[in-house]
Amino acid sequence: MVLILGSLELGMIYGLLALGIFITFRILNIPDLTCEGSFTLGLSLSAALTRVGHPFLGMIAGIIGGMAAGGVTGFLQTRCKIHPILAGILVMSGLYPINLLILGGSPNLAIMNSGTIFKYAGAFLGNEGAKIAVSLIFTGITTIALAMFFKTHTGLAIRATGDNEDMVRASSINADGMKAAALSIGNGVIALCGAVIAQYQNYADINSGAGTLVLGLASVIIGEVIIFRRDLTLSLIAAVVGSIVYRFIIALAMKLPFFDASYLKLVSAVIVAVALSIPAIKARARLARIKKEGGRYA
Amino acid sequence: MLDIQNVTKVFGKDTVNEHTALDDLSLHLDKGEFVTIVGSNGAGKSTLFNAICGTFFSDSGHISLDGADITYMPEHKRSKMIGRVFQDPMKGTSPNLTIEENIALAYARSKHGPLGFALNKRDLKIFRDALADFDMGLEDRMKTKVGLLSGGQRQVVTLLMCTVVPPKLLLLDEHTAALDPATSEKIMKITNDMIRKNNLTTLMITHNINSALKTGTRTIMMDSGSIILDISGEERDKMSLNELLDLYTRRSKKVFDNDRMLLGTE
Repeated sequence: MVLILGSLELGMIYGLLALGIFITFRILNIPDLTCEGSFTLGLSLSAALTRVGHPFLGMIAGIIGGMAAGGVTGFLQTRCKIHPILAGILVMSGLYPINLLILGGSPNLAIMNSGTIFKYAGAFLGNEGAKIAVSLIFTGITTIALAMFFKTHTGLAIRATGDNEDMVRASSINADGMKAAALSIGNGVIALCGAVIAQYQNYADINSGAGTLVLGLASVIIGEVIIFRRDLTLSLIAAVVGSIVYRFIIALAMKLPFFDASYLKLVSAVIVAVALSIPAIKARARLARIKKEGGRYA
Repeated sequence: MLDIQNVTKVFGKDTVNEHTALDDLSLHLDKGEFVTIVGSNGAGKSTLFNAICGTFFSDSGHISLDGADITYMPEHKRSKMIGRVFQDPMKGTSPNLTIEENIALAYARSKHGPLGFALNKRDLKIFRDALADFDMGLEDRMKTKVGLLSGGQRQVVTLLMCTVVPPKLLLLDEHTAALDPATSEKIMKITNDMIRKNNLTTLMITHNINSALKTGTRTIMMDSGSIILDISGEERDKMSLNELLDLYTRRSKKVFDNDRMLLGTE
């Protein structure tokens, strides 16, 4: 029971990360490494502000911080013409000392004795109830807000920018602005994920961001396998569902005697590598089949 | 309406590849004029369009549209006033968006602001009626992703996107050249109807000299970045294909060597 509830909660919270990655990777087509820094930024801001008694402010500061980080990446990509992957790496690296500073100079910060949102909600709903409810509310509201946003004119323009940039430029939309906006929104959501995680687990660690891109991608891909994406709203829901399923898989794997927590990153990397290579494998198989059938009649 | 004054553009300046793409070119279009442009490869036709659209800034000279100087206006700002259809049907539409989303992208901003919902019932009816005019059955496939359409269908969607809010200037860059002859003819007819209905000021590049003389109200011929011939009215109506080719040879001191243009296969 603990395993199921724990996976569900973590899955929903990390669903936020999957949503952010979905925006940058699936909509914009950019593997954005900023997320590893912005996740930790959200986490640090949330922990530091919770410690001084402002857990709600921590969440908001997290979102704003993440959006600013994404905005800087967008600026570097569009205005300074820096390669998208390098732009992300630069911001990620640059955020490290800033995050350390926010955490008060030490690599981790425990907030066991501070009032988190989960503890406030726990007063009404009980401990477990609060965890489920808070995770559900944050992820649910974010999913709905994003689904609505991508139906607006700006949302549509962002989707078209990832799809066909030339056409966007030719139709009086500022493609650079749209890219920066999408990176900003994506990283805002990712930082919110970090902010919620900090209050959920009652501590923040400077290295929490490492591997978040692959982790988020794995969730997005698992979601796409489960819910075949037809429209954008379904794809957003799929990302969250993928994250929950991923957590269940991890929880089950951890039950195996030889499985160590450090293997997680390898497992995620393998999932992503295999899933992304499926189109290429299919194409090769098709060529091989044609060759074989052609040979039969030669 | 459109006024281009002494525009020059040199690519690769001070290198061995230096190439004058536009050479002190001036052109004036009145409102409602429909000008066809012919010229061999490298004559500067597409460069002229790029200069008008702001893909680059011209080295010297001025461009103004409807009284406003647009010489140094950023590309995305001028495209509010200019509609452009490319030869490549893949270029003008977003493949993963549906037909209605693509059209809404071109239409809704002027209506509902950046954070308004892009699709609403009244707009959809306008799109549906506009698509039905083309008689290609697209009005029943508004929720289809554009990536699944044929080249001709995509060009129709692009044309509608360019004209759903009538632009001050419409630029057609060989927009039927990548289509089969039957589809090409159909798209050309749709284009003509659309231009006439909205009284659009239009520049159209074509490789088909025959259609250059038959469509529109004026024909210009370009060579080496300059306009070498500009005919309209009676002179143009009387001009035959051979006379036009003769003129080309005399003025450019070159023989027309483009089969595609001579044979009129577009």
